[in-house]
Order: sequence, then structure tokens, then C-alpha cells
Amino acid sequence: MINSIIRYTVIFVILIFLQVLLFNNIQFSGFINPYVYVMLILILPVEIPSWLLLIICFFSGLTVDLFNGTPGIHTSATVFSGFIRPYILRMISPRDGYEAGAVPSMVIYGFRWFLLYSGVMIFAHHFVLFYMEVFRFAEFFATLLRVILSTIFSTVFILLAEYYRRGR
Amino acid sequence: MRNLLNFLARYNNLIIFLLLEGFAIYLAVQGNDYHNIRLAKGMRLMTLGVEKNIAKTRTYFNLYSVNSKVAQENIDLRNHIEKMNRSADHLFISYTDSANNQQYTYTSAEVINNSTNRQKNFFTINKGKKQGIDVDMAVISPDGVAGIIVSSSENFSVGMSLLNIDFHLSARIKSNGYFGSVTWDGRDYRFAYLNEIPLHVLINKGDTVLTTGYSSIFPKGVLVGIIDSYEKAGGDFYKVKILLTTDFRKIDYVSIAGNLRRLEQTELEKPYK
Repeated sequence: MINSIIRYTVIFVILIFLQVLLFNNIQFSGFINPYVYVMLILILPVEIPSWLLLIICFFSGLTVDLFNGTPGIHTSATVFSGFIRPYILRMISPRDGYEAGAVPSMVIYGFRWFLLYSGVMIFAHHFVLFYMEVFRFAEFFATLLRVILSTIFSTVFILLAEYYRRGR
Repeated sequence: MRNLLNFLARYNNLIIFLLLEGFAIYLAVQGNDYHNIRLAKGMRLMTLGVEKNIAKTRTYFNLYSVNSKVAQENIDLRNHIEKMNRSADHLFISYTDSANNQQYTYTSAEVINNSTNRQKNFFTINKGKKQGIDVDMAVISPDGVAGIIVSSSENFSVGMSLLNIDFHLSARIKSNGYFGSVTWDGRDYRFAYLNEIPLHVLINKGDTVLTTGYSSIFPKGVLVGIIDSYEKAGGDFYKVKILLTTDFRKIDYVSIAGNLRRLEQTELEKPYK
């Protein structure tokens, strides 16, 4: 228990640093802004109590907001994705359900399962994030394009990171 | 009572979600207000230590180009002084009270935090109220317009970048004098748009676009950009695409221009708005 708390804290710090120092500086035609810190929400244990999940989401979003100077925008996106995570996990659960103490990972459930899971989660997160950011429905489809392109890039980065994690 | 407890136990997930999401949206609405980003300022102060170190590293890597730019600027200024001295000699002007002639005060500052990849970009500079920086001052980079100060604390200020979908700036085409408002569409950090140029105006690619000084924030004649292309936008107007001369990815040292007569002008204009 203590062990896994420490491990998740370390992952959290690494992800935040990657996000602030590296990914916040990526600029690609104004449409692609990958947000990889979402990975923390993806890889929390399956059976984590939903209230704890929501609170972890809230504080991780708040931390990113502090560094970005965008109060509330990342927080609302992470809390939303934390809220829908249990439903998505239930929807795409394997035939014989999850084992006790399972963690959503590529190595256990396979590449296709993880791609579907992370794709849906990241899309939900980015959807709330980008519409909260512009805070208007004018140019709806331009924003939607940003959501989709950024989702693709974030997913690719997170899959790569998951691949690396699996190697250890 | 028991029903209530049952209800809470059953929907605790939804209730916590609604509470946290509500709080987040409250923060977002409060913090995104143009003139009311006090919260953002307070939050910025907490992460300032990290940001300062990042800025320090970045400044070090940029030293070479900054040096050459400073040298160039020195030469320009020296030429300017020379020219002014000469014209003063020529016209026999006696300097009486120079304070009466000065309309803008300039302060130099360093950008310590900046973003270009969001829809609403802001930057932080390392000067604040103590150094005379206040809200509604203009931020000008060595290459052109950069933004407007929207809030300032003792030693730091936050500026709204031109790369912000809420930013508006009055500017004119230098060659023919027609003016419109400059906005950013949230896409490419190198381009902005000059709107409301009437259809009968002859536009040349490569013409320069300058500030008008109508807003009483920016001095007149600050470089904004160069015309890249134009197209008809709905009604009777052109939408002119401008290549910004300021490179917001590299922005580093800026000067802050404060209008000493701004209050006088806005007071006078108030009844007519």
C-alpha cells in the first residue's frame, strides 16, 4: 500500500515535470497541444474508491493549473475524466471481469484494449479542456479539430510511455 | 433521515463530482475575466520559484542573439540621438521644461514566463508596482507590439499577450492610412488578422502595419507586422492576414510604455462612449 503510494507520487512528479518543461513548449501549427499528465489518471488501480479517484484528479488538475496559470481549466477536465473512468472501465471490461487489485495496463489486457481505453479517456479529457479554454461555441469545429489532433498526439505519447513502463 | 443518508450513500460519487467540478468551473470563470485575474496572480506567485529558474536557463541559451540585438539597438539609438542633436542645433530650440513634452514613460523588463500554445496566452514580467508598472500599460518588444499589462503585484506583472483571443488592438496600414482592429484567431503564433478594412482600399502584400494610438495605451507608430495576404470577409470588408514582427516564441526583453496623459484622455472621452 505504502509502496504503491510512493510509486504513484514519483510517477506524478515525473509527469508534471515532463508536462511543464517539455510538452507545454510544443507548438505545432496551433492545433496540437499534447497533455500527457492524464496518464496518471489512466494507470491508477481499477478498484480505487471513486471518491478518492475524484480527489486525486482534482489535485492533479489543480497542480497543472498552478504551473500553467489557468485556474480551473485543467481541474474541470481531470475531474470530469475521473468521473467517467469507472463507467468506461465497466463498459470495456474483459469477459471474465477484472481481478482483485488489477491495474489498467497494456501488459495485462493487451495493446488494443489499452488503446481503446486511453483513447476514449484522453478524448473526454481534451474535449472538456479545450472547450473550457476557449469558453465559447463560436468556431465549434476548429476547436473540435484541435481536440481530435491533440488527442491523437497525447495518446501516442502515453502509449510510448506505457510501453517504456512495461519494459521495467 | 435514513432515506436521505441512503440517497447520499448511493450517489456520493455524483455528489463529489458535482462539487469538485462546480468549484473548478467557478475558478475558471473567475480567473478568466479580463480585468480580474487576481486569483491567477496569487497562484502564479506560488510557482514563481520554478518559473524563475526555467527563465534563467532559457535566458542563458539566448544570450548570443540577445547580445547582437542589443548592439543593433544601441547603434539605432545613437543614430537617433545624433539626428536629434543636429535638428535641435539647426532650429535653435531652447529646452524649457522637458517634463511637459513627455507623454510616455519607458521601463525595460524581462519576460520570465510566457506561453504561445493556448487560446488565451499570458506572460509574466519581472517588474511590478514598485518599479512603476501598472494595469493598462503597453508591452513592446524590440521587434514590435507584444501585449498589455492586465495585473501587477509588488515586483511582478502579468501581461495579456497579443496571442490571446480576447486581445484587440487598433492599427493602421502605413501606406494608405486606413485603420482597423487587430485580433488573433488562436491558431498560428506567427499570424494575426487586421479586420474592418473597406473593400475599396488598395492593399499591397508586404506593407507594414502600425499602431494608431487611438486606444491611449499604445504609442502611435509601433510596428505590428507585415501584410501577408488578404481575403473578403463577409460584408464589405477585407480580412488582412498579418505576419507579426514579434516572435513570441523568443520574446525575452521588453519595454513597458505607460501613457502619462491616459487618464486625462479617458476622462474627457467618457461621456461620448
